[in-house]
Amino acid sequence: MSTIASGDFWAFVGVVAGIYALLGLGIQLEFGFAGLLNFGHVAFMAIGAYTMAILVVKLGWSMWIATPLAVVAAAAAGVALGLPTLRLRADYFAIATIAFSEIVRYVATNEETLTGGSQGTINLAGAGQAASYNGDWDRFESWVQSTLRLGSKDAAMLAIVWLVALASCTALWAAGRTPWGRVLRGIREDEDVVSSLGKNVFAFRLQALAVGSALAGLAGCFYAWQFSFFSPADFAPLLTFFAWMIVILGGLGRFFAVPVGAVVFGVLFAGTRFFDFAPFAWFDSAERAYLRLMLIGLAIIGLILFRPQGVLGRREELVLD
Amino acid sequence: MSALLEVEGVVRSFGSIHAVDGASFAVEQGSITSLIGPNGAGKSTLFNVISGFVRADAGRVLLDGSAIERRPAHAIAQAGLVRTFQTARVLARMTVRDNVLLATPEHPGERLLQSIVRPRRVRGRERAARALSDELLTLVGLQDHADALASTLSGGQRKLLDFARALMARPRLLLLDEPMAGVNPTLRVQLLEHVRERREREGVTFLIVEHDLELVMRVSDLVVVMNEGRVIASGAPASVSADPRVVDAYLGAPP
Repeated sequence: MSTIASGDFWAFVGVVAGIYALLGLGIQLEFGFAGLLNFGHVAFMAIGAYTMAILVVKLGWSMWIATPLAVVAAAAAGVALGLPTLRLRADYFAIATIAFSEIVRYVATNEETLTGGSQGTINLAGAGQAASYNGDWDRFESWVQSTLRLGSKDAAMLAIVWLVALASCTALWAAGRTPWGRVLRGIREDEDVVSSLGKNVFAFRLQALAVGSALAGLAGCFYAWQFSFFSPADFAPLLTFFAWMIVILGGLGRFFAVPVGAVVFGVLFAGTRFFDFAPFAWFDSAERAYLRLMLIGLAIIGLILFRPQGVLGRREELVLD
Repeated sequence: MSALLEVEGVVRSFGSIHAVDGASFAVEQGSITSLIGPNGAGKSTLFNVISGFVRADAGRVLLDGSAIERRPAHAIAQAGLVRTFQTARVLARMTVRDNVLLATPEHPGERLLQSIVRPRRVRGRERAARALSDELLTLVGLQDHADALASTLSGGQRKLLDFARALMARPRLLLLDEPMAGVNPTLRVQLLEHVRERREREGVTFLIVEHDLELVMRVSDLVVVMNEGRVIASGAPASVSADPRVVDAYLGAPP
């Protein structure tokens, strides 16, 4: 196959992996540190993407103002979800979050005047007028490309996404080493002990959820720019579980494990499409697309059997008593 | 002496079981008070009510004169009432030192923005906390384990870590739930010394649930005896151990 050597194709895989890394960082903070089972993470990605697109298209705002506001909107949505649900037991919280993410998706599908409905952002400016939110972004991308003398726009995108992902990762790593991060890790271990020592567990969890949601909102903006068009169908629950797979593949409790997990996931996910040899050749390409999900599932099962701490995790931290 | 903790008519039921059924007693400022009673007397539930982990159905709990029975556990701890747990609950995947450091009260570094805006203040506080935590770990003999994960400690060592961690929270009143269980006899004597020393040096008041009666009688200023959810006797160790109701309920038939 010719595409296997194509730089463009692998740049695309790298960009998507970078976006997933941002998404996974939120899960790592929320679960790997604060012990929160958030199965509705994709909702905050959708809220970030839609807020950015709506502000740019409907209000004509600059992307540079709309994007920070989109990130704030995602964080605020995290707080709004957390206030009534964070006192629930872990499993009920998980159910509430997945319900929330479906509610967000259904609202985006049905509030056609606000979101463009099921046709997606192309419909944002109303019927018959193809809307685009990408103008500022394209200019920025071209600027980065010419400044760094990169061969293609895809390469510029790759550089920007990974710069942001690694900067976020470093910032979270630093935050995880502060006393704030210590309290979060304590909550993951035993929340009763942490409250017996005078720490407001609820407030710390709310902060973790807000920061994690903000990261998902940022991932949503990058997703929007990368594909220059999106619709509610892009934010199905599957995406949340991709982020979970990345965190589990990389290793729980370590921020720098997330980019590693994202790359492994991206390569597995994209690489399986080149499996045109037997026994994969027995299936047609559409069937092979499903096959790769099974292969990733098998890879995770194998990983949990033989290296449960993930690629970068520490095994002794996994052993409970 | 005045009462630091007053428990007035506390009731708490689980379904049809009256775990605590109108318990009242007081803990004097600066005292070592023991709460004893047979299994199922309601001591643990009462501990949970006092420390805010279980809501009382009725009754009041006053710390230094102000009502705390409706306040959340973390607010009660911030007010100076700190507890330990019956089975030592260490944060297993954190180091022994981090377990203790976590208890640092009013740490500015626990506010994310402060770490960014005022890093020097945060670092200064962290240094001081680290010095104090090392001191407390030395006190309980765990200094050599400071950098090990808490999951590597034995049962008795976990009890000691629990104790050091609770002291780190700078309590005025420390509730110890069976602090001696699983601790070897040599360490018990040491632990007891630490309790006495904290009382003398820093005026920490102690309320202790303990099954080792000989120890209880030796160390306590005041003993409160519970049975079937109520306080059936309280007073100096000598008078309590001679009380026929106590002998009947708790110690079994007289020899």
